[in-house]
Amino acid sequence: MARRHANALLALTSSALALPGISSKSHAASPAAESQVDYRYSSYSEDDLSRSKTSNPDTRRYEIDTHQFRLVRPWGDEYDVTVDLLYETMSGASPWFITPGANNQPIQVMSGATIDETRIDMLASLRRYYGNETYGVSLGVSDEDDYQSINLGVEAQWDIDEQQRSYSLGIGYSDDDLEPTDGASAAFPDRISDASKDSLTAYAGVTQIINAQTTVQSSISFTRHDGFLSDPYKLAFVNGTTTNDSRPDGREQFAWFTRFRHFFTNLRAALHLDYRYFEDDWDITSHTAEAAWYQNLGDGWQVVPSIRFYSQSQAFFYAPFYGQARTDGFASSDYRLSPYGALSMRFKVSKAWAGWKLSMSWEEYDSDAGHAIGDVDVENPGLVDFSVISFGISKRF
Amino acid sequence: MNKLAIVSLCMSFLVLANSGCTVQPVKAWERGDLARSEMAFEPDATEAGYRDHVYFSKEASSGGATVGGGGCGCN
Repeated sequence: MARRHANALLALTSSALALPGISSKSHAASPAAESQVDYRYSSYSEDDLSRSKTSNPDTRRYEIDTHQFRLVRPWGDEYDVTVDLLYETMSGASPWFITPGANNQPIQVMSGATIDETRIDMLASLRRYYGNETYGVSLGVSDEDDYQSINLGVEAQWDIDEQQRSYSLGIGYSDDDLEPTDGASAAFPDRISDASKDSLTAYAGVTQIINAQTTVQSSISFTRHDGFLSDPYKLAFVNGTTTNDSRPDGREQFAWFTRFRHFFTNLRAALHLDYRYFEDDWDITSHTAEAAWYQNLGDGWQVVPSIRFYSQSQAFFYAPFYGQARTDGFASSDYRLSPYGALSMRFKVSKAWAGWKLSMSWEEYDSDAGHAIGDVDVENPGLVDFSVISFGISKRF
Repeated sequence: MNKLAIVSLCMSFLVLANSGCTVQPVKAWERGDLARSEMAFEPDATEAGYRDHVYFSKEASSGGATVGGGGCGCN
């Protein structure tokens, strides 16, 4: 049985980060000067759940193998084209619902190792560079057995002040359809058979070159989700029995994202500092801070240690379990909506030569109520720790 | 998590960002360091896309200076 979550759009952020133009460069936008092909393999593995936190004898969780292909190709003097393909296989178990244990200690009930799923994601983008103006369009699809998404984005950038400052705007739309496995079946009569949602996001940003070694980018974004935003596979424990995960059918999000880059000429190293503030009308507020150090070692070698900190508050309707039903009918025990913090350490090494580049990276992610900025009364037992190992190869030609 | 470390990280960011607010004219031929790949806001696009996807799937937050891309039913 495949089990999918109804997390809405990733879309409007993730794959687009892979786009080459507008907002990813620290200097003025221009078409790709040469073609580039990338391949990347990543192995994602969640740590076993602590035996004291679950009633399941099998404490294993989730694993994902991901293959990414990317092609960037100049097209004439004014255009470039980017195509991203992603194929991944997912397997394992995920949190199902939480019951009160001794002294009301929350006990996680897992789905069992029932997930066996593949996802294919394709994204194509076209950009036109016209003097100090850049325009881009992108179209993407994502397909799983129980989830389909189609998305469209348009962006524009204007360089001013001899390309020392640029302004950018973007709008994206995503239309998602869910058909949960075993929905409305004899085994799961209360599970929905199908649902849909859509998401609209808009951002505005400014990029400023401060001096010959320093640049800063700051942006704000608004996102509106409408439709089925609950998780069709999760349950909540309310007044002694389980009920469907139930969330509001609308969500508005705001994010302020700022990135700082500085190059230390004498050290031949670059410092990256990122900060994001996030809030939404589910009362979730979060802070994300990341620092990375890109150290060149000579002969094409580079090492990149980095650290990322994340902390969020809980959604207003979240609880590990409920003594009584809420008057608004909402109920969710998803750890993603719980209060917690996460600390992630990462290390990457790469070697470049003659147009080729090989890279390998490792990341360790640890989430814990103790990492949160504010005090957390009850930690969600389903909080996830994971590690990722990646290998990449690219070629310019 | 040591709260002091968090605050220090945030303060370092603000101080560094603020210290650079005196904008200096930078001619095109002086932008060699800025054009280095490790000075890009996203030096490795496939890596950035992957990481953002993972964080989106496991956390409640998202948002940045981007649009486009596909949704998922991520577990």
